[in-house]
Amino acid sequence: MVLYEDNKAKYDAVSKDLFRLVQRDEKIHDVEFKTKPIGFFMDVWLRFVKNKASVIAAVIILIISFFAVFGPGMNEYTYDEQHTELTNMPPKVPFIAKMNLGFFDGGYTMENRKYDNLNDPEKYPEGCILEVINPRLVNGERIVDVVVDYYKYKGLSDEQCFWFGSDYLGRDIWTRMWRGARVSLIIAVVSVCCNVFIGVVYGSISGYYGGKVDMVMMRITEIINAFPRIVVVTLFIMVFGTGMFSIIMSLVIKDWVSTARMVRSQFYRFKGREYVLAARTLGVKDMALIFRHILPNSIGPIITSSMIAIPTAIFSESFLAYIGLGLQAPEPSIGVMLSRGQKVLLQYPSQVVFPAIIISLLMISFNLFGNGLRDAFDPTLRGAE
Amino acid sequence: MFRYIIDRVIALFITLFIIVSIAFCVVRLMPGSVYDQDGDLSQTVIDTLNEKYHFDEPIIKQYGYFLKNVFLHGDWGTSMKMRPNVPVFEVMKDRIPVTLQINLISLFAAIPIGLAAGIVAAIKKNTIIDHFVSFMVVIFISVPSFVFATCLQYFVGYKAGAFPIIYDASATGMAALHSMFLPILALMFSPIARVARYLRAELAETMNSEFMLLAKTKGLTYAQSTIRHGLRNSMVPLANIIIPMFANVLGGSLVVENIFSVPGMGGMMVDSINASDHMLTVAILVFYSMISLITVLIVDISYGIIDPRVRMGGKK
Repeated sequence: MVLYEDNKAKYDAVSKDLFRLVQRDEKIHDVEFKTKPIGFFMDVWLRFVKNKASVIAAVIILIISFFAVFGPGMNEYTYDEQHTELTNMPPKVPFIAKMNLGFFDGGYTMENRKYDNLNDPEKYPEGCILEVINPRLVNGERIVDVVVDYYKYKGLSDEQCFWFGSDYLGRDIWTRMWRGARVSLIIAVVSVCCNVFIGVVYGSISGYYGGKVDMVMMRITEIINAFPRIVVVTLFIMVFGTGMFSIIMSLVIKDWVSTARMVRSQFYRFKGREYVLAARTLGVKDMALIFRHILPNSIGPIITSSMIAIPTAIFSESFLAYIGLGLQAPEPSIGVMLSRGQKVLLQYPSQVVFPAIIISLLMISFNLFGNGLRDAFDPTLRGAE
Repeated sequence: MFRYIIDRVIALFITLFIIVSIAFCVVRLMPGSVYDQDGDLSQTVIDTLNEKYHFDEPIIKQYGYFLKNVFLHGDWGTSMKMRPNVPVFEVMKDRIPVTLQINLISLFAAIPIGLAAGIVAAIKKNTIIDHFVSFMVVIFISVPSFVFATCLQYFVGYKAGAFPIIYDASATGMAALHSMFLPILALMFSPIARVARYLRAELAETMNSEFMLLAKTKGLTYAQSTIRHGLRNSMVPLANIIIPMFANVLGGSLVVENIFSVPGMGGMMVDSINASDHMLTVAILVFYSMISLITVLIVDISYGIIDPRVRMGGKK
């Protein structure tokens, strides 16, 4: 009986062209690792750049920081130089003024002027009138509102101008604003660094040792937490006076608690892991265990929470300035400028607009940046608080 | 549970005592005399006043008198500068209702709006509506309330003339509400955003859970399952962020009150500091602390009721 017919001759006769090799052309990927392994921070970076909003926020922060450093030196004024005859000047940038866009042209609306006087060069110097609006007849007199180039109206040359206008003492708002942004950023960054430092040390000791130490240390933070923020800050500034140092310290004195708690909870999560046990068995000292083995695990949450603390610090600083506990004159800060500008808001809105835009941009950017970092460090938290 | 509440109340009183002590010492040891610098008071008058208010005695003794008056008579001392010879309590009594009104109205108006925005965003997750809500949330959370207040004052109050630019203390009824509309609105943005963001995150997570699938399998409509099962489960954690908002009910409006010239608590604290009206400053600081401590207490207790695990933690 023939189980299998010998078909070899038959198959050999079939033309080889009819056959096609499968899989030969496809590249086999996992034969060996060709790419480099991606480290933790590279991984974070890759996730971070995917989030467009945070990247834009980071760029805005960089731009504002750049101006905070170099902005005050960009024109000829200093932050405390007063021009008593040039107070409350409107903003004017020469090359934008030439384009006739209706802003940054030194325009100032003077209401209820006599129409007949418009051609009087004594009252309105050559070329100062930008626009005549709202003509009307009052008691037989022709009355108009005139938009004038306030710089020419005051008889100044074309070159002299305040880019963002001047304040009630004739100080340049551009210079003061960027200097104020610098002050606000310094206060924010220094206070956040301090509270991260204190919080990390305190939290790691409390979290690592646990037990009685932990209980006592946590009671202390509970007491500090019970003090209302506004009371602590006020008392602190009352005792130590207003100034950069006391503002920074007043922000640190309460804010480190949350960092400490966060670090503590991270320690509780990691200190029971096997690798810690292994390290301890090998005779690693407590300090090394805390700072080399356990702490690096919480680097993500620490960076994230400090980034989110920065806008809070900026807000607190301007808040203090608003209630009159800010920096001493003539030192500007965004909050000081806002609260001064607020008083003349209805007459000269431009004095509020620029600081308000800067502080809003800074707050929005830092918030978005912080959110982006949080998502990058811990993708599982995306969208949560 | 009872034990837990007693523990918290005792802790509250200890903290309050510490705050009173610190506040009293700090304020009293500050430079600046209670009397005017001009010196139109004769030495005899000053001596008599000192004797009456015990200013000539050591600070420890003064503190003793202060505590005695507060605890036995409910007497917080007498205002020396802001409204001379008026008891501190009376001075504050006029200011508190305004601040409370503005803050409570804004909070109660903000929470439903925030809830609605959060629900809509969670249901329409990853659509244009969701993105819009998220965008507004970022803006509302980031931009400080005083920037909003300034914008509202300028555009709505001054340019459009729809509402008064400053608060009118003499108005009553609807006119009062009309004049406090802008400060209330300015204070609403942040709570709206906080509630909306939190609820969106919570609800979006709940919607994906299996009991929601079960609810729909049972035959509930989309709306029924969302409201009865999804929303109810998201409400528990939401209480954790809404209740603490009441802690800010007196401190949060400080700047906004300042901008709209509201005669509330905010301005008074700073004024009393600047005028070295010591008794008033101490009373205001203690008052602020008390409100915030009581809120924290309420929060803790309500956690205990909402989430029994917290109660167990408190007993250990």
